[in-house]
Amino acid sequence: MIVMEHVTKSYAKDKPPALKDVNVDIEAGEFVFCVGHSGSGKSTLIKLLTREILPTDGTIVVAGQDLSQMKNWKVPYLRRNIGCVFQDFKLLPNKTTYENVAFALEVIGRSRHVIRTQVPEVLRLVGLEDKGPSYPDELSGGEQQRVSIARAFVNRPPLLLADEPTGNLDPNTSLGIMSLLSRINKTGTTVLMATHDREMVDSMRRRVIALENGKVIRDQDRGVYGYGD
Amino acid sequence: MAISPGYFLKEAGVSFRRNWVMSLGAIITIFFSLLLVGTFVITGILIQEILASVEEKVMIQVFLKDGYAPEDLDPLQTSLVEDARINSVEYVSKEQALERFKEQTADSPEIVDQLPNNPLPASLEVELVDPEDVEAVVVDIKAHPNFVNLIANPEDPEKDLKYGAEIIDKLFQLTNVVRVVVIVLVAMLVFVSMIFISNTIRLAIYARRKEIAIMRLVGASNWFIRMPFLLEGVMQGLIGAALAIGVVVVMRQWLVPWLSDTLPFLPVTLSAGATAQLGLILAAFGVAIGLIGSIFALRRYLRV
Repeated sequence: MIVMEHVTKSYAKDKPPALKDVNVDIEAGEFVFCVGHSGSGKSTLIKLLTREILPTDGTIVVAGQDLSQMKNWKVPYLRRNIGCVFQDFKLLPNKTTYENVAFALEVIGRSRHVIRTQVPEVLRLVGLEDKGPSYPDELSGGEQQRVSIARAFVNRPPLLLADEPTGNLDPNTSLGIMSLLSRINKTGTTVLMATHDREMVDSMRRRVIALENGKVIRDQDRGVYGYGD
Repeated sequence: MAISPGYFLKEAGVSFRRNWVMSLGAIITIFFSLLLVGTFVITGILIQEILASVEEKVMIQVFLKDGYAPEDLDPLQTSLVEDARINSVEYVSKEQALERFKEQTADSPEIVDQLPNNPLPASLEVELVDPEDVEAVVVDIKAHPNFVNLIANPEDPEKDLKYGAEIIDKLFQLTNVVRVVVIVLVAMLVFVSMIFISNTIRLAIYARRKEIAIMRLVGASNWFIRMPFLLEGVMQGLIGAALAIGVVVVMRQWLVPWLSDTLPFLPVTLSAGATAQLGLILAAFGVAIGLIGSIFALRRYLRV
């Protein structure tokens, strides 16, 4: 699903690179944590995978497509295969839950019929079937994150990227989000989650890729957060 | 992809209402620049017609003295006939000149009757292919060796050589000046309207930056993201053009009849066909301005 070979990314010439010679291979259907301190390169990694930025060096292949060779106009079609979840939810405040999720289908040209069947289905999956008419500011943080996961998943992408999805949530709510992501993973979707939620990582016992100063310092199946600090 | 055009229209309309002050500014500047273009084209058409009618009257007349020697006339006439710039050369005898004069004064035949003998000179009437050559041909006629022998006033040949030089010259000068002034004005106004449009589009982009970010996130195609903004620019251009076309139609209704009343000696008409053509030109101009203005904004402020 994701193959990164000798990937280096520097934002400026006079600064050390954000990522340095990163090699990662993630199979379809895996659930992977990407951990590290702030500034270790987690967000850069996610942005590289959605081709928001291009690597300075190395090759990245996502879902069989080489990102550095990819034409600009094809990028949107890549992103339809990648669901994205963020710490700050990125919901539209003037749209209801239903509309926020439907928006993701509307703008890629899905028919009304598809929207009408898929949106309620995904809302049921995230447990918000009765919150359709609510606006984001009427929802709790956890509920808002569920909406944003519903939006990321409504198109059934084979890959889901989550950048600190529990960063703004309390531990109990985070747990709910984690079990939701697990469920999504069980449907066959590859999930890559950047986080620094130590307890979460330790309790889940999934593959962990640890970054430090832009380098992969550990890649471990059924791993823990590590960093004995 | 099954995207209904309704979506784009709705989006463009919403943003139009959101920034209506800016949109109004854009529309008004487009309106003015297109109005200028329209007035310019109309003036051009009118001047063209006036010029054509005046040009028809441009003819070089060489008046011959009484009792000129025909052997002097023949070489001049032959050289004129052979000149490529000259359409026709007609010899008008004294008798023919008198006939014409009689026709022109048919209302009051006593004028002719009172004439003791025929005072009108014979003449050569030279018609040109292109009226702009008139000066050159006149110079050539004057330089012809037989010319002085044929005319009554060799010391002042201007008296015996008539052509509508002054009118033509002034009209050409006037139209050239008008042309330059209007082109400069229109270029400036077009530039300003493009800046206006690109500004309204920039505001529209800013107002929707969150939606745009999410659209990019979920993989909306670049054209899908750009389309509402392009449409908004085009809409502004079209509305400006519609206003300008309206004013042009009104001008045609009121101004042209008034002009032809005030200037009866000039043929001031503007056909329906020409007006329709002008309308199309203005609409095309409006769309182009709107399109270029919004493309400019998209390139600067919307990286998709």
